[in-house]
Amino acid sequence: MAACVHETIAEKTVVILDLHTHSIKSDDGRAKVENYCKWIRSREIPIDGFVLTEHRQFDVESDYSTLVKSSGLCILKGSEVETEYGHVLVFGVTEALMLAYHFSSIGLPLASVLESWEQHNAIAVPCHPGRKRVGMQANIEKLGVPAGVRIVETLNGGSRRGEDEITQQMAAELGYLGIGGSDSHIVSHIGRCATRFPGDISNEHELVEALRAEEFAAISMRQ
Amino acid sequence: MEDVETLREKYLNLDYDEKTFEVDQDKIIAYAKACGEIAPRFTDPTHADFQAPPTFPSSLMAGRHLPEDFPRFGGIGMDAGKAVEPMLPIRPGVQLKGRTHLHDIYTKTGRSGRMIFLVSRMELYDPEGKHVANADTSTVIRERSSE
Amino acid sequence: MTVSTIQDVEFGEELPAFKPDTSLENVRIFVAAAGWGAARFTDHEAARKEGLPGALVPGIMSQGFLAAMIHQWASDARIVKIDTVFRAPVMVDQPHYITGIVTDINAEDSYVEIDLTVSNEAGETRVFGTATVNLA
Repeated sequence: MAACVHETIAEKTVVILDLHTHSIKSDDGRAKVENYCKWIRSREIPIDGFVLTEHRQFDVESDYSTLVKSSGLCILKGSEVETEYGHVLVFGVTEALMLAYHFSSIGLPLASVLESWEQHNAIAVPCHPGRKRVGMQANIEKLGVPAGVRIVETLNGGSRRGEDEITQQMAAELGYLGIGGSDSHIVSHIGRCATRFPGDISNEHELVEALRAEEFAAISMRQ
Repeated sequence: MEDVETLREKYLNLDYDEKTFEVDQDKIIAYAKACGEIAPRFTDPTHADFQAPPTFPSSLMAGRHLPEDFPRFGGIGMDAGKAVEPMLPIRPGVQLKGRTHLHDIYTKTGRSGRMIFLVSRMELYDPEGKHVANADTSTVIRERSSE
Repeated sequence: MTVSTIQDVEFGEELPAFKPDTSLENVRIFVAAAGWGAARFTDHEAARKEGLPGALVPGIMSQGFLAAMIHQWASDARIVKIDTVFRAPVMVDQPHYITGIVTDINAEDSYVEIDLTVSNEAGETRVFGTATVNLA
């Protein structure tokens, strides 16, 4: 589990996290985590940390604790998996969850993901739902509305024109809550979208709890 | 769908193509200028350090795109990415030898459905056997739908 | 300001804006030089027959634009690696914009890392990547 510097965010009444980022651990990621931190600090990007959601994997190996201390940023780990409804962010990944599912599979059943991952104290959030083919909305047209979805990514920093609007309309119609993430693959794209939480988050478990509390808001910082 | 792990075990890191390339001065200049290069070492053949732009190896195509017995997926291959590591300058008139192998194979779901990614690497050598550059090509093939 | 040495570079520095020539005429010159003569690059109608929205700028040409931007910023820069991901088509005869931002500086070894993007008029990223560049 990735640790964060508790005291740097404990004094704040809100925490802003970019919930969707990729590093060089993802096949199409070109950003080093250290450079993300340098970039956030030097450009004064108004986020307190980020979640690394590598494609089709959970990065067990990487230890960012030294970087967390030196940067004062909260660095958490999650994953972006692929289901028949498109891509889904997962927060709160545990060893048991990794044993139960092949993260590398590109056809995980969303219903099963949502149901059993809750049992593992993880939370699954369909991302960029307005995107063609890999977004949930396009697949709802083919497969129907999936049961069990509570939160979707309503702001995605990599969205093309109109994609977030499709998501937001879908979220309004179906009563979903929204998070934000930059979907950054290069350093300078981090923090374009993020999620604001009340209180303190310093590890993955607290992130899951904060998502379950349903008191968060997606925010955009795109220029 | 072909099993990706089997493909990786069978094909990765084995040279499947070898091809020679003549580097033409006029083509270097046209290539550089079309890309917007203004540095004389890429556009002026009288410059003491005249050479091909560093991305030039990306344009060199192997004789075969894939190993001879590699399975066909049916869809059209599209460029998903290119990476070049230039190590030595490429001068006009030199004959380069390119040796190509599959460097990676993986699948993912993109905006256009399920896709197979093939990363081929061409290693370029000069006539003295010096390693001049690596050029990686990621090709994505959209799996033909059975619907 | 012309960048000559690593001391001239600032973290977060944006390379001078560069609008690439994506005209059909220029793309035809490029593909002739590169030996990439496919009609999808040189003929809008032929590209549409392939199911594409129009002729495409070859990915290697986008990569070439990005390298040229780096050399226009620092004429003596030596590109050690340039790695580009082609996320969406770059269309011929449509305006595009390319950007470069310095995201890391290794002063000891005189290397910088640069984020690279090619975007269309809607601001959508079509190509992204990074370059590692050596400055004297």
